[in-house]
Amino acid sequence: MRIAVCMKAVVEPQSRIELDGDGNLRREQLRYEVNEYDLYAVEEAIRLVDSNDGEVTVITLGTEGAVQGLRKGLAMGAADAIHIDCDPYALDPSGVAALLAAALREGAYDLVLAGVESDDLGGAQVGVLLAEELGYAATTLVVGTSAPSEGSMEVRRELEAGEHSTVEIQLPAVLTIQSGINEPRYPSLKGIMAAKRKELVEKTPADLGFAELPLPRVAALGLELPPPRELARMLEGSAEETAAELVRILREEERAL
Amino acid sequence: MSRSIWFVAEHQDGQLHRGAAELAAAARAVGDETVAVVCSAPGGTVAQQVAPFADRVLLVEDPSLEPYTAGIWAQAVVALAKEHAPAAILLPHAPLGRDLGPVLAARLEAGLMTDCIALEWDEGLVGKRSVLRRKLVARERVTTSIAVATCQRAAFSAVAAGEPGTVETVEPSIDAEAARTRFVAMERAEMGEENITEADVVVAGGRGLGDAEKFGVVQDLAAALGGVMGASRPVVDQGWVAHDRQIGSSGITVRPKLYFALGISGAVQHVVGMRESDVIVAINKDPQAPIFEYAHYGIADDLFKVVPALLAELES
Ligand SMILES: Cc1cc2nc3c(=O)[nH]c(=O)nc-3n(C[C@H](O)[C@H](O)[C@H](O)COP(=O)(O)OP(=O)(O)OC[C@H]3O[C@@H](n4cnc5c(N)ncnc54)[C@H](O)[C@@H]3O)c2cc1C
Ligand SMILES: Nc1ncnc2c1ncn2[C@@H]1O[C@H](COP(=O)(O)O)[C@@H](O)[C@H]1O
Repeated sequence: MRIAVCMKAVVEPQSRIELDGDGNLRREQLRYEVNEYDLYAVEEAIRLVDSNDGEVTVITLGTEGAVQGLRKGLAMGAADAIHIDCDPYALDPSGVAALLAAALREGAYDLVLAGVESDDLGGAQVGVLLAEELGYAATTLVVGTSAPSEGSMEVRRELEAGEHSTVEIQLPAVLTIQSGINEPRYPSLKGIMAAKRKELVEKTPADLGFAELPLPRVAALGLELPPPRELARMLEGSAEETAAELVRILREEERAL
Repeated sequence: MSRSIWFVAEHQDGQLHRGAAELAAAARAVGDETVAVVCSAPGGTVAQQVAPFADRVLLVEDPSLEPYTAGIWAQAVVALAKEHAPAAILLPHAPLGRDLGPVLAARLEAGLMTDCIALEWDEGLVGKRSVLRRKLVARERVTTSIAVATCQRAAFSAVAAGEPGTVETVEPSIDAEAARTRFVAMERAEMGEENITEADVVVAGGRGLGDAEKFGVVQDLAAALGGVMGASRPVVDQGWVAHDRQIGSSGITVRPKLYFALGISGAVQHVVGMRESDVIVAINKDPQAPIFEYAHYGIADDLFKVVPALLAELES
């Protein structure tokens, strides 16, 4: 079984988010890490090939943080990696999917796993769009997989309010992986050393047949600060002071205790 | 030309989802005509249930349309959209829209905006969406002739029921054999031993608690307040507490008299499960955490300092 896993470098939650005078995001002060959902996807892929034979390829499209993400995937147990060197901010999700598909098409993967969404820009699109580009079936919000048999597999989808459904999907397929499906392993020292010797293929959009980048179907108009909301009444002081004030408020003003 | 905005009616077990009236509101805000698209098995009443929220209802009936699978619904909606060319198709940013939205977009070669919190029409469908953990709002415009968008739950206030729109039954254009996903089974939520939806006081802890052992202080505070313990998703994912404690869109919704959020950032999927609580207290060391936008009282400090102080104060 051949499985590809899409990994995206996303903006670290602790990064300073600021707009410059022209309303553009100050990109130079952003730091990146692997999208958390993608780590669940890598782990699930490794478990599937461990019990059904096969190999895992990790793939990313990006610049900053992209290769570090792939190295992590390789250290966790992927066999090889593909890096599409392209500015992700220059594409919309359909463009990202088109380029990823071009790089994955020849690999004849049985399964492609992606995260349910990217933690920074949160499109929740690329996995399913990629499936459509490849002509694969797709299912989203997957929190459980079973061993494939006779060209299909059953997966468990998470719905809302604690409900789940089971869906049978024909391979080849794309699954978008939801958190909690497994516990992603930490790369071992041995894994990290082995990763250095694994193949990491570099591709440009031109290598993939894109003389020009695909035109976006969604145009970015600008970024703004969220509308001001009524903020909480913030209690100031030492922990003892804020605790005492809170208990007083809850008892005397809110009568909630 | 009049602008027709479609929304896909979400339903289960014969019942229209109440989010449909929110989608109708979003559609009405940007279109001249609001059309509900209903995909269902023959003999249902979903079309009649949604009619009061739309000018027209397009009803596609086929046994293969229930229970839902993306493959067959996509066939039905894509065929209709190709024939009638609406300006936009709206879906909920929920399991349905996450699953079906990108399939429709790909097959209609349409631009897709997801998780929209506001929509307007300005030379095309323009949407606003929160990005970078709600620290910024992005404005986007779909540039293709049909637009697809998913709308955040509760971001649009539901329209009131009006004069029912006309229901037109349309011939399904479906090849069920070609579908490559098949529905197998549905599992309902399991309720835990302690019913936390009925508690007056809920003390919820998030990833900020650090690990399972330290999570104990959440239980301590819950006990001191005579309440029950709840959690955000990462806490459940990591197995610090059981699934039935998860508060939010994929867990449970609580509405206690008093809600404590300890070390919880305030992601929308969490907030939808607790924002109706009477009094909300948030303790988070990041003064910029979005949870403070929903809390009535906030303490921007280390919870491991504040909670012990609270416990001492409650004892006195
Ligand atoms: C389809 C879908 C469904 C989802 N359903 C749910 C759901 O039902 N429920 C849910 O909760 N989430 C859900 N999520 C996940 C959600 O998007 C967030 O990832 C999650 O709510 C974040 O949990 P958190 O606030 O505990 O963690 P984080 O976002 O990591 O926040 C931790 C917070 O702790 C604070 N902190 C750290 N240390 C301390 C300290 N010592 N003292 C005080 N504060 C501290 C930090 O400042 C931070 O704000 C869902 C996601 C998806 C995609
Ligand atoms: N630039 C990218 N490179 C590789 N995978 C990506 C990229 N963008 C998105 N993905 C994959 O698609 C998932 C959903 O991303 P998104 O549609 O951006 O929310 C991510 O979790 C990744 O698995």
